[in-house]
Amino acid sequence: MVRYKSRYLLCELCVSDQSSLQLLDERAVFTAVKGAVSWAHGDYGAALCSVSFAVKYLNAHTGVVFLRCRKSHYRLLWSALPFITSVESRGQRVPCFFNCLHVGGTIRTCQKFLIRYNTQQLLRMLRHCHSEAERLEVRKAVLSCSVKSLGKEEEEEDEDGCGDEEEWGES
Amino acid sequence: MWHADNMSEPASYERRVFKNTSVYHYMKIYLILDSEDKMLNAAHFKQMIIAALRDLYGEIGAAFPFDVLKFEEDTLTAVLRVYNSGLVKLWSALTLLGSYHSEPCAVRVAQVSPFLLALSGNSRELELD
Repeated sequence: MVRYKSRYLLCELCVSDQSSLQLLDERAVFTAVKGAVSWAHGDYGAALCSVSFAVKYLNAHTGVVFLRCRKSHYRLLWSALPFITSVESRGQRVPCFFNCLHVGGTIRTCQKFLIRYNTQQLLRMLRHCHSEAERLEVRKAVLSCSVKSLGKEEEEEDEDGCGDEEEWGES
Repeated sequence: MWHADNMSEPASYERRVFKNTSVYHYMKIYLILDSEDKMLNAAHFKQMIIAALRDLYGEIGAAFPFDVLKFEEDTLTAVLRVYNSGLVKLWSALTLLGSYHSEPCAVRVAQVSPFLLALSGNSRELELD
């Protein structure tokens, strides 16, 4: 059996105003990324990247985006991401930038990375807590998404917003 | 590294062997314009090639150096020098160059060689008696 190998880019959409994330949809991200690839790598790069390019997942609350691309040409897509400065959505321009967190071969490894990454972020937040109540709240959140607590795996996946059961790769 | 060995003392030529691969490739190209009245200088010509490169390979892909060593305005012939790594990109961009100021044009690649000296003569244009 032979299958097409893909690369999944786990990106974080950074916006100055969190509420503007709600405006974004997958189509807007798709056109923004495609435009950036076309600008950076021309017709040649845009044609190579458009093969099996897809926005697999977009979380409008946390700004997490999964991009899929063929393994052979994911570098073209990767190098074009920093050139995106805004995403046009529903007639509005949302200034933002893409922060690529992880590049994985399957959507599953990206999901695992995202869970670990979010746990680290929570631990980082624990250090900046001022009151005891805040500290307890964050501690509870850390415990609820700890990988060690196997029983809580299901709800933790929902919390991290990547609990969709995707197939591993397009075949 | 140049290595010369004289075949024999009175010989009028010497053989030169170029052992390392060349850094550059040289291309001799002709530009074919549809209208005769367009005047083109070397700067315009280079600008045209850069625009073609940017169309095909974008801002990042087109960012590699190449030089127009010589451009003859009356015959629209040019000699380009390009690093080996950029040769394929440059060549393909030249091939897909189809218009200049919305007028059809074409680029014919006459000779490509790692040695500039090889462009001094073209064996395909030899007239044998």
